[in-house]
Amino acid sequence: MRYYETIYIVNPNLENEVLDKTMVEIGKELEKTKSKLINHRVWGKKRLAYPIEKQKYGSFILIQFEGGDQSKMVDFDTWMKLNNSVLRHMIVGLDNKPDVYVEESKKEPGVDEEKTSEPVEDGIDNDDLPPEGAVEPEPEDEDVDEKNENTEQKIVVEEAE
Amino acid sequence: MAFQNRNKFCYFKENGIHDIDYKDVKLLRRFVNDQGKIMPRRITGTTAKMHRRLVRAIKRARSIALMPYVERGTE
Repeated sequence: MRYYETIYIVNPNLENEVLDKTMVEIGKELEKTKSKLINHRVWGKKRLAYPIEKQKYGSFILIQFEGGDQSKMVDFDTWMKLNNSVLRHMIVGLDNKPDVYVEESKKEPGVDEEKTSEPVEDGIDNDDLPPEGAVEPEPEDEDVDEKNENTEQKIVVEEAE
Repeated sequence: MAFQNRNKFCYFKENGIHDIDYKDVKLLRRFVNDQGKIMPRRITGTTAKMHRRLVRAIKRARSIALMPYVERGTE
């Protein structure tokens, strides 16, 4: 039996529930071809090298499976093409049997990657925060301004005198 | 830029890579110039066999938007 890999891009703004729904839907459609799914997982949100349907980012999802009915694969291909939630897809033959993707052991580094990416966002948040912190100093600045104004007023008074 | 040394060698043979995965964009980027064009074997020094596999991987990566077909180079 031959092994195949299908990769498809989904709109990244989809909610998790909708994403799961579409993944289940696509999995069911693929099972109609009598092929056995080995892996079906989200590869991650990535920046597209060129915009597709005005989207700059996309969620990449991978399916690795053992080939079933060849003639029905054509139907699956056209179904994927007509599926509006899929921005783009590609079915590729694999040379070797793919390893079963172990979620727990491999997801942890993935989570770590997310964590490494998140601190950057946190950093952005922190960047957002200092302005909030800076809001407090601002009154001081205003005070200073007021003082300056006072001094200016004094100066004006002095000049007036 | 990385291929300007005189001694040509096949990157894949040197590193024991037999299968080139189209998802490994970081690797494929090495064999593409700043315009996104596939660099010739004459410059990269890859063996004919690996160059064919490389080309296939790059073209697959392009079609699934992992790599650009064209990129704005240095003007």
